[in-house]
Amino acid sequence: MLSNWPTPEALEWTSQDERSMIKDLAVMIAGKAGDGVLFTGNVLAKVLKRHGWEIVTSRDFPSNIRGESTCYTVRASLDKIYGLSDQVNILLAFDCEAILAHLPEIAANGIVFCDGQGMTTPPPEQTLGRTFHRFSLRALAREQFGQEIFKNVIALGALSYVLDLDASLLDGIISEMFLKRKGEEVVRKNVQAARFGYDKAREITAETERHPLAKKADDDQVLISGNEAIGLGALAAGCRYFAAYPICPATEIWQWLVHYLPGFGGAVVQTEDELAALNMTLGASFAGARAMTSTSGPGASLMMEAFSLAGMAEIPAVIAHVQRMGPATGMPTKSQQGDVLQWIFGSHGEFPRIVLAPGTVGECFELTVRAFNLADKYQCPVIILTELDMGQNFRTTRAFDFSGVRIERGKLLSTGELLGTADFKRYEITADGISPRSLPSWKNGVHLAESLEHDEKGYRDEDPLNRRRMMEKRMRKLDQASPDFCAPQVWGCQKAEVGFIGFGSTLGAILEAVEQLRAKSVPSRFLQLRTLWPFPAAEVRAFLAESRDIFVVEHNFSGELATLIKSQVSPCAELNNILNYSTLPFTPREIVEPVLRSRR
Amino acid sequence: MKVKASYHRLDPTWCNGCGLFGVFDALKRAAVALAIEPEELVIVTGIGCHGRLNNYFRAYGFHGLHGRTMPVATGIKLVNPGLQVVAVSGDGDAYSIGLGHFLHALRKNVGLTYIVVDNRIYALTQGQASPTTDFGMVTMSTPVGSKDYPIDGPSLALAAGGTFIARGFSGEVAHLASLIERGMKHDGFALIDVLSPCVTHNKLNSYDWYKKHILHVEEVPGYSPRAKAKAWEALNDPEKIAVGLIYEEDKPSFEELVLPDREKPIASLDLKVDVPRLGKIMDGFR
Ligand SMILES: Cc1ncc(C[n+]2csc(CCOP(=O)(O)OP(=O)(O)O)c2C)c(N)n1
Ligand code: SF4
Repeated sequence: MLSNWPTPEALEWTSQDERSMIKDLAVMIAGKAGDGVLFTGNVLAKVLKRHGWEIVTSRDFPSNIRGESTCYTVRASLDKIYGLSDQVNILLAFDCEAILAHLPEIAANGIVFCDGQGMTTPPPEQTLGRTFHRFSLRALAREQFGQEIFKNVIALGALSYVLDLDASLLDGIISEMFLKRKGEEVVRKNVQAARFGYDKAREITAETERHPLAKKADDDQVLISGNEAIGLGALAAGCRYFAAYPICPATEIWQWLVHYLPGFGGAVVQTEDELAALNMTLGASFAGARAMTSTSGPGASLMMEAFSLAGMAEIPAVIAHVQRMGPATGMPTKSQQGDVLQWIFGSHGEFPRIVLAPGTVGECFELTVRAFNLADKYQCPVIILTELDMGQNFRTTRAFDFSGVRIERGKLLSTGELLGTADFKRYEITADGISPRSLPSWKNGVHLAESLEHDEKGYRDEDPLNRRRMMEKRMRKLDQASPDFCAPQVWGCQKAEVGFIGFGSTLGAILEAVEQLRAKSVPSRFLQLRTLWPFPAAEVRAFLAESRDIFVVEHNFSGELATLIKSQVSPCAELNNILNYSTLPFTPREIVEPVLRSRR
Repeated sequence: MKVKASYHRLDPTWCNGCGLFGVFDALKRAAVALAIEPEELVIVTGIGCHGRLNNYFRAYGFHGLHGRTMPVATGIKLVNPGLQVVAVSGDGDAYSIGLGHFLHALRKNVGLTYIVVDNRIYALTQGQASPTTDFGMVTMSTPVGSKDYPIDGPSLALAAGGTFIARGFSGEVAHLASLIERGMKHDGFALIDVLSPCVTHNKLNSYDWYKKHILHVEEVPGYSPRAKAKAWEALNDPEKIAVGLIYEEDKPSFEELVLPDREKPIASLDLKVDVPRLGKIMDGFR
């Protein structure tokens, strides 16, 4: 296996003050759905990435297509970053409402561009050194280029000026985006609009307001979302069958794979629902494919019955679950970590399952590759559990190392190995609980994949002793498995009284919090769980023993991870929960403050 | 050469006289006629008395969940289209809990043979009304008679664009076997709805009752399974239940449409990690 994730040492500690705006900055683009906020943000992120910077993006979108407030934040830094900071340095607002909504986040020397009707500068007691510029993007786009749609590229040109970026970076991305699909004329007009924006910004801003960015050589970085990284991981791992039903925020995994799987000889199927998606994945896997499905909370609930089938019939399956806000339909475009226990304790009956939780985009790739190997090795369902924040937002990471990818299919026999077998037992009771597998069409491998309790050949068997032996066989498959799992990772200071525990996309905010606390002379450490089940009890126990104040940080209401820890580590130290069940992911401040409060 | 014994694993333990014996026998006969290797045949079953069929049959098998035969069978077929994939459901399995899957597999025209053993009752759960139970029939769940109007699988299939729609009777095994055999040869989705008595829980729809009510379409003068209007007419007959090959048409199968190459099954692809090719894809993120 490759180990792609950055080591904790790669985190360079810089204090808040050292990190002046030149080395670290956040740009927010805000407006209404339909304003092109997503487009503008994505392009800006790409430009800054090509400038050589580390990027983290964050989007806050409503679940409708037009009319409601949306915003997109791009944080860029010379240092390795995993999450947002607490501040926004530049706000580009397509309306005045956006300013009112985001004013508190804007840094003291921040700068605001607004295309608002009747925009007035806020009273001086509110501006606190921030500068405000009226920037009539729509009107200018109409006057100069005949169409309002050019406002986004004009805005991007203006940002290029303020950040003192090489104008050719933006030109290059415009041409990549439009040349194939729309032709030269569209490229030319957009490049012109970008230039116009650049010049316009020079007119309206003072030189002192610029935020010129130091440039770093691009060191093999890519800008990718968690969903895309999972898709790429699946492709590299040999996934050749993908079945799913559309659901936000998981759909991008599928939308990405649909372009590549056929070229690799595979197939992507849109099913009638999630019941079908997982059952079809199991059929495909039974017949020999590395198969996968993806979903979010509502779909996961529908998959629960087939999840149990995968456990009983011992069929490898990979399920990517990108969490959104529940319960029920909840808030489809908001992130949450509220479905953790669903996969760990969910469905009927008892069977082994594996739940992995990547905390970086590199880990999304890495753990997806690993998920396929684990599914084949242990012949059980494997869940890749992420959140909207991880799935849909973009982050820079080192380009993935494909040469380190190994495809390990466990006890899947070959046709040759079967030839000499007279009495093949698909569910043979073995010391490690894992049995040999054959595929339909293979001679001497005939068997039944059975959902009823079965004998070693797969045929129904209700004998009490057989039931006991089969249950023990299945349940012991994961007994010796821990070396195969991704162990928890400890980040932060070597020795610290304060210990954070978390998983998934809260990693970014927790690492920022660790840094901010360090600047305040409160050393802390962070235990990042990457395998949630089987639970890494030994590592968690050790971490608890070494820390005085434990904070379990979770983006949910009831502290599912804390509940899990308490159920698996006994006796358990006192756990403080830092919970956030708001529609936005954690800010570092929301983690730092409760820690400081607890120490007063 | 294959004989019925080639596919026999175990004697079934269904009730004496159960229609499922006829289905079991007919499926073996069809396999013999097509000389299918047991390894090349996969039987996917639902949950119900019918679901035991692949415990008795010698072939690869998948006994999954109640109502979910279709997605499982579709996954198998797409991954290895050379396999002969036969799914067996009951009327509850296919037309109640699995109705959505049934219509979608059918409209996609996946190359499956779907045998729905319609005994007009939920047998395994001891005799509750099913979606094909006659209106007014007294069952365990309808002590004063069923208040639900029944639905008809082949009619649904015809409306939803089925490309091979047949109905057999488990009391006429040779005829049923010939329908199954044709269904297996059909390149696309083949529905074979089977009128099949449950002698224990459905005393109304007995062998004699069916004999009185069926009408063989092949005996209707001028009947052609290629004419949709005639198929509608036969299915709408208020007195008689049409059996035989009711409708057939040629349409590309789902495998043909979605698989890059049917000759290179997904199941036997070399999964070697193509580092340069993946690296090129990665470059798109720079
Ligand atoms: C999700 C689910 N709900 C209910 C059941 C219980 N159950 C088992 S078989 C069956 C009905 C069987 O009727 P049918 O499909 O017509 O098959 P038959 O027994 O008549 O062959 C039901 C409801 C189940 N196994 N799974
Ligand atoms: S209960 Fe009915 S369907 Fe089930 S085996 Fe007996 S006769 Fe057949």
